[in-house]
Amino acid sequence: MNAVEVRGLEYRYADGTLALRHVSFAVVEGERVALIGPNGAGKSTLLLHLNGLLPENPAGAVSILGTPVKGENLPEIRARVGLLFQDPDDQLFCPTVWEDVAFGPAQMGLSGAALEARVAGALDRVGLAGYAGRLPHHLSRGEKRRVCLAGVLACEARVLALDEPTSDLDPRARRELKSFLQGLPVTQVIATHDLELVVELCPRAILLDAGAVVADGKTHELLNDEGLMVAHGLDRPHILRHSHPH
Amino acid sequence: MHDDLLSPYEHRDSAVHRLPAGAKLAVAVAFVFGIVVLPRGSWAAYAAGAAVLVVAAGVSRVPVRRLVTRLLWLEPFALGIAVLALFQPGGPAIFAATLARATLCLSAMVMLAATTRFTDLLRVLWRLKAPGLLVTTLALMHRYLFLLADERSRMLRARRSRTYVAGRAVAWRASASVAGALFVRSSERAERIWTAMLARGWKT
Amino acid sequence: MHVPDGFIDTRTALATGTLAAVGLGVALADVRRALPPRRVPLIGLAAAFVFAAQMLNFPVAGGTSGHLIGAVLAAVLLGPGAAVVVMSAVLILQCFMFADGGVTALGANIFNMAIVAPGIGWAAYRLICRTAGETLRSRLFATAFAAWVSTVSAAIACAGELALSGTASWGVVFPAMAGVHMLIGLGEAAITALVVAWVARLRPDLVAVAGGAEARAGYRSLVVWGLLVSVGLALFVGPFACGWPDGLEKVAGALGFESRAAEKPVLAAPLPGYAVPGIGSTALSTIIAGGVGTLVAFGLAFLLARSLAPGGSPRARRPA
Repeated sequence: MNAVEVRGLEYRYADGTLALRHVSFAVVEGERVALIGPNGAGKSTLLLHLNGLLPENPAGAVSILGTPVKGENLPEIRARVGLLFQDPDDQLFCPTVWEDVAFGPAQMGLSGAALEARVAGALDRVGLAGYAGRLPHHLSRGEKRRVCLAGVLACEARVLALDEPTSDLDPRARRELKSFLQGLPVTQVIATHDLELVVELCPRAILLDAGAVVADGKTHELLNDEGLMVAHGLDRPHILRHSHPH
Repeated sequence: MHDDLLSPYEHRDSAVHRLPAGAKLAVAVAFVFGIVVLPRGSWAAYAAGAAVLVVAAGVSRVPVRRLVTRLLWLEPFALGIAVLALFQPGGPAIFAATLARATLCLSAMVMLAATTRFTDLLRVLWRLKAPGLLVTTLALMHRYLFLLADERSRMLRARRSRTYVAGRAVAWRASASVAGALFVRSSERAERIWTAMLARGWKT
Repeated sequence: MHVPDGFIDTRTALATGTLAAVGLGVALADVRRALPPRRVPLIGLAAAFVFAAQMLNFPVAGGTSGHLIGAVLAAVLLGPGAAVVVMSAVLILQCFMFADGGVTALGANIFNMAIVAPGIGWAAYRLICRTAGETLRSRLFATAFAAWVSTVSAAIACAGELALSGTASWGVVFPAMAGVHMLIGLGEAAITALVVAWVARLRPDLVAVAGGAEARAGYRSLVVWGLLVSVGLALFVGPFACGWPDGLEKVAGALGFESRAAEKPVLAAPLPGYAVPGIGSTALSTIIAGGVGTLVAFGLAFLLARSLAPGGSPRARRPA
């Protein structure tokens, strides 16, 4: 059973534009896959489908850990897939850090001591142990992202879908996030422009352009193919120009 | 960069700060009601009230300058309306009493705001079974207040840096266009927040 | 127009508090019923928006500048029910977090700025739209005039509350509040129309919402608000404007308000300086001053709408 299985996914926006064209791929449990591609390729849209956040689609199928993403399964899906939005301010909507991290598990029915333990544990894992009473608008960008991560971990998600996790992070915060993700034994699908991160973190990459899967394979092979990269609005990352192939 | 004026809460380690929010709210409201209910000429009572406030301010360790600044910022409005009281039989007495009462109540509320987090007050409201929609609105408003104020400042600065002509019409256009853009952005952000709520299991 | 503590006496505070609570309660029920769940965060964000927008500067003369109140802006963009909730939330936050507006005066402030202002503003807006059509130009015209009317109405209600509390005499506070706010209202009209025009340019669908089914308040809610506003104005303004009608006098007696009715009605004795020079009767001058103000607002709204939406439809100009 694959952690994520997408078969022939097709999706149109409300105005009729085709956002995703016959997208198919599978992700094994524990795997870390990068979703790369130019702006407007449909990366974010694809991630939203993993959580069943877009209206149901007749064309194609998505399933998470064997459960199809549709209708009555949605609560279970949304507990299993932790989505990290591009803008942490969209996701951090509760008055305090504690309440925000508690939001997910509370929706799932946790309360009292069990809820407290879950929240404390999640904050601990992301290194924000004393932050429970803090107000979101006082946090730095990196701290906000970590609280969002904690919120998702508190749901005991088994698949993490991250949308541009390192955008507008300073080098230190980026480093911390990268090593955190490296140590997290959870399936990860990471949509990103940060190609250095892809090389450092994800053994496999899927190249998306204009809603279609253009390439799917080992990161080093894909990203070293300069012609392919440039043809799809990307570039060969510096880290590969000066490193030796494994 | 948060506007100093937008953050009335001053965190200090004091007995007043440690009191539960509900208690502080109750005391402040009771104080205000007490002042308002008193007959106009109760000057002894006003003096006593002032003394209580001074003591509370001292115990709370909130810098006096901050309290006074806030008070001075609010006082003109009270003054403006109080002036109208002069034009009637017994005007000056009413004016003085009204101003005294207003200032006492203002001080009490400024003290409350300086020693109590708004989010704690919200929790009190929630426990008192206030309507859910109202509490949610207050919570979201408080959460995104600062963000929107920042966005507003940034947009204003951007507009101004592109204007080479001074004048009222230009300033009006800048402010109106910023307000318009701010509303659109807020609307779009609200949609994304909804999606984020759903993503973590919010049940409709 | 945030009234601090100490200006509204206990009786008036209780009366306004009751009216405010009922009005807000009705609005909350209305919004819960009519608004689809996915738009609930919008109410909260809109409240933050109104708060942030109220801080914008609109320079007038010398060093002074005008500011937006936002009641009609909220009503046009979100519908009347949501506007009541939004404005109430803003006032509650301002009261408890910034001491802007008193606790005992919260009822009065909510009644004035969160019920009377959006209520009368929305009524004026829909009335004009129904007669003048639903093009952008007529909507902007309706918006501007409604904003002016809402500001003046709120000010009059406020004046009544202050007079009833014995803080100031009606003969002073009514011309002062009404006069000043007829001027401030012009600013509110212009600012509101400008902002709505901008939103229409960026996202026309957001302005269309207000006319749609979503924002149409339940008929029962409208009736309740209309009643609340009428009762409020009758209680606070009535005794000064025209003396007590018999039935209401009995009610007022029971509530303890009748002592205020001892004051002479305004149309007989307003502030001397309020009289229009050259006209003998001061009652007539009040009416004329009010009429002139209304015409000026009307004219401004018309010209504004004309310049913001020439040809009756929004220009496809990219915003700067």
